[in-house]
Amino acid sequence: MRKFLPSFKLLSGLLNVYGLVFLTFLYMPLGLIVLYSFNANPINMAVWTGFTFDWYATIFGGAAVETTFDAAFTESPERIFEVVKNSFLVAFTAASIATIVGTATAIAIARYNFITKRFYQALLLLPMLIPDIVLGISLLIFFVGIGFELGLMTIIVGHVTFLSSYVFVVVSARLAGMDTTLEQASADLGAGPVTTFRRVTLPQIMPGVVGGFLLAFIISLDDVVITYFIAGVGSQTLPLFILAMMRRGIRPQITALAVLILLFSFVVATVGLLLRNRKP
Amino acid sequence: MAFGKTADSRRRQGLVLLLSPVTLLLGVFFLIPLGIMIVYSFLEPGLYGGVEWNWYPYNYGRIIGWPLNDYETFEPIYLSIFLGSVKIALLTVLVSLLICYPAAFWVSRMSEPRKSFVLFLITLPFFANLLVRIYAWLLLLRPSGFINMALESLGLIAQPLDMLFSSFAVIVGMVYIFTPFMFLPIYANVEKLDFSLVRASQDLGAPPVQTFLRVILPLTVPGIAGGSIIVFIPALGNFIVPAFLGGSKVQMTGNLIERSFLQSRDWPFGAALSLLIMGSVVIIVMFQVIRSTRQNRGAA
Amino acid sequence: MGFLQIASAHKAYQTPEGALVRALDDISIDVRNNEFLTLLGPSGCGKTTLLKIIAGFEDLDGGDIILEGRSLKEVPAHRRPFNTVFQNYALFPHMTISQNIGYGLDVAGVKKPDRDRRVGEALEMVGLVGYGSRRPAQLSGGQQQRVALARSLILKPRVLLLDEPLSALDRKMREAMQIELKNLQDSVGITFIFVTHDQEEALAMSDRIAVISNGRLQQLGSPTEVYDAPDNEFVANFVGTSNLFTGRIIDVDTGQGLVTMETGNGRRLCAGSRAYGLGDEVKLILRPEHLRLVDGDTPDGPCLIEGSVKDVIFVGSVVHLHVDVGFGRTAIVYHHHDRTGFRNDIEHGAHVRLAYAPDSAHLIANGRG
Repeated sequence: MRKFLPSFKLLSGLLNVYGLVFLTFLYMPLGLIVLYSFNANPINMAVWTGFTFDWYATIFGGAAVETTFDAAFTESPERIFEVVKNSFLVAFTAASIATIVGTATAIAIARYNFITKRFYQALLLLPMLIPDIVLGISLLIFFVGIGFELGLMTIIVGHVTFLSSYVFVVVSARLAGMDTTLEQASADLGAGPVTTFRRVTLPQIMPGVVGGFLLAFIISLDDVVITYFIAGVGSQTLPLFILAMMRRGIRPQITALAVLILLFSFVVATVGLLLRNRKP
Repeated sequence: MAFGKTADSRRRQGLVLLLSPVTLLLGVFFLIPLGIMIVYSFLEPGLYGGVEWNWYPYNYGRIIGWPLNDYETFEPIYLSIFLGSVKIALLTVLVSLLICYPAAFWVSRMSEPRKSFVLFLITLPFFANLLVRIYAWLLLLRPSGFINMALESLGLIAQPLDMLFSSFAVIVGMVYIFTPFMFLPIYANVEKLDFSLVRASQDLGAPPVQTFLRVILPLTVPGIAGGSIIVFIPALGNFIVPAFLGGSKVQMTGNLIERSFLQSRDWPFGAALSLLIMGSVVIIVMFQVIRSTRQNRGAA
Repeated sequence: MGFLQIASAHKAYQTPEGALVRALDDISIDVRNNEFLTLLGPSGCGKTTLLKIIAGFEDLDGGDIILEGRSLKEVPAHRRPFNTVFQNYALFPHMTISQNIGYGLDVAGVKKPDRDRRVGEALEMVGLVGYGSRRPAQLSGGQQQRVALARSLILKPRVLLLDEPLSALDRKMREAMQIELKNLQDSVGITFIFVTHDQEEALAMSDRIAVISNGRLQQLGSPTEVYDAPDNEFVANFVGTSNLFTGRIIDVDTGQGLVTMETGNGRRLCAGSRAYGLGDEVKLILRPEHLRLVDGDTPDGPCLIEGSVKDVIFVGSVVHLHVDVGFGRTAIVYHHHDRTGFRNDIEHGAHVRLAYAPDSAHLIANGRG
């Protein structure tokens, strides 16, 4: 035992160093775009020429674009506002529906015994497991096949399909930690099924439901691949908009926009993760 | 509420009510579309997009070698792109495994509340927008990007390295994106690991390398397998990462599918390519299910 | 017509392995109004299943539950005039104590002023005045227990169902709560159906005890009936400790109401009984406290057993003796320990003579289980 002690200590030190490298790997690229977004250099972000808020200003309409070269690559605040509005509309609607569907399913799986239970459990895992591209094109073929016009509606429906699975997983975890006799006690004291759900079950699983909603919301807001296939011509979401901008070339305005998206995602995800981890 | 019913039949009603939304949703918008996609992959592509309702196995033939020669030829490029995608996905799995495995041990040895915080830090990038994360690597890897600038200013290189638009860039990008997927299953496994077994092995005289190979590694196989699968699947079908970091030089099956749907409008061919990916996914998942049930039975 | 009739209740379960378990096998009990009835049996005997069926959480496969002539088969749990005190109390963790107790009234639509007054009375009844605004997690086990009681009793149920409510408490607390529960039942005048696996608890609290094993009703009677005159071997062994001897009646003295039984080994034992005749196959049950140590002057006879002490276990108020009485049988004897009395110096290997009164021996027919 003693013989291995020094090497164990060494290993432990190496691990700590490695851990810092690992976290650097995760955060340095993100930190870099935050830094670049404040760089005044319009040509090469990697060369620092001075601090500026201009790129953020172009997003909110506060700064004029100076050169014609930049004008061709800069989107108007109105256009940005429209795609952001689309994205929020889709994310809010899809996450809301997915929260209802996912929660109902989680309750059914947790509280009932039925023959097809295993089938449902496997079915709910599938949308999270199969590659996004397969989900996207199968929905594209389906919507075009039944003559459903592609647009915000198809994006919402498409998102609900896979977001329900995420909500299901989060709410299920919460239900597993809940005492089932509480529901029996409520019925015993004279409350019908609806009252029991509203006053006992729901308050107990609420952190899971809200956490599930927020995760679904952020996943919907960030989705690129599935949306890419089922979005119509007039229904661009923020990620598709960024995708189009990135295809035209790297510009400081994208960097600023990316930082704003990053910030928003992190705030929502943090709240979601905190709620999910709160002990019942 | 229902009167004149027994507790069981009332419960049955509740169950039907709770399950109908998901049944409708996944039935209509998931299973039926998948079914239609399978059907499409066996239909003849129409001349100007769309499909002809004729039995046509040659969508697959074009990919793996029995084409309808008077119409299309067998192009080994499709198969080689598919195999290339498998290779890139496997390398992504391997690299993220090597990165995440020691990190899992690093975190598992921490004490609360530090551990929870570091876990949170590792999970958080998962919620950053995919495009934002790819964009960050574009800024890092391009010839006038951060890495080249840094190396040049240090005098290590004279000419910018050509890192972007290569398999290397695609793998780096995917490893970065899928790191939380690989980390969490391995961490969950390592966290449960009984370290007294490691001490027992050392106590029995096994040198560290032996202890690792014969005790630690076998016990962490479930986490490695789980993480590898959930990284491999999205890596295999990816098209956004190669589109930006691979450019025109690195093509993956996902890019072929995208093009056949949105550019050449040969939907049956795209459907066939998607099924090729789906098929690989099914095989891998079944392999994992068999492996884990066998392991569970062995433990019981 | 009884108050609450459990009429040939049947219930079977399928285990995950596919085996069929009969949780309730033809159980019939007429529960009387205002009685304290205990369902007593080992874990898994079906007593909790029966309680859940009465409460309405589960359905019967066959039979019926009838309250004052009305079948409850199609009445859901929330419409039954019964309330339950759960084993883990099942207090709503997101509500205060007052909200917990007032929940049933609130659901029933009782207005706030009236509700507050009655919650206050209930808190007083269980001695928790001033605890109303706390949360369940801030209370001790015993206090949570009282809240659960108050929450149920405030609705004035026809029957209060209690599912092993004392099992989570420590011994001292449990004994105090036994008395408190019994007094409460007397004062509120509500029928209590109490489930437990603890026979001492059942004997101490009940008006009547229903002993259940393997889904079947073994005996229904007052604590003294169940203890002194068990209907079968299971009851004799489960309720208290018994020394059992199997044999055949070889002599009957109808005048004195005395019979003599002979075991297969030729051991002869007396018993007071007029129910059995010559040649009947019987089992003789002797409670350990009915065996007395006597001195050598006592004449031999069928009401006397001899043996040698194997183990001496001092448990405080009494000494438990394990006495080898021959033919591989051990008799258990509770010997009262008093400092000045007879034979306080019993040691391993000592020869002892055990006498008993014929009427303290109870006979059951052999073969009835």
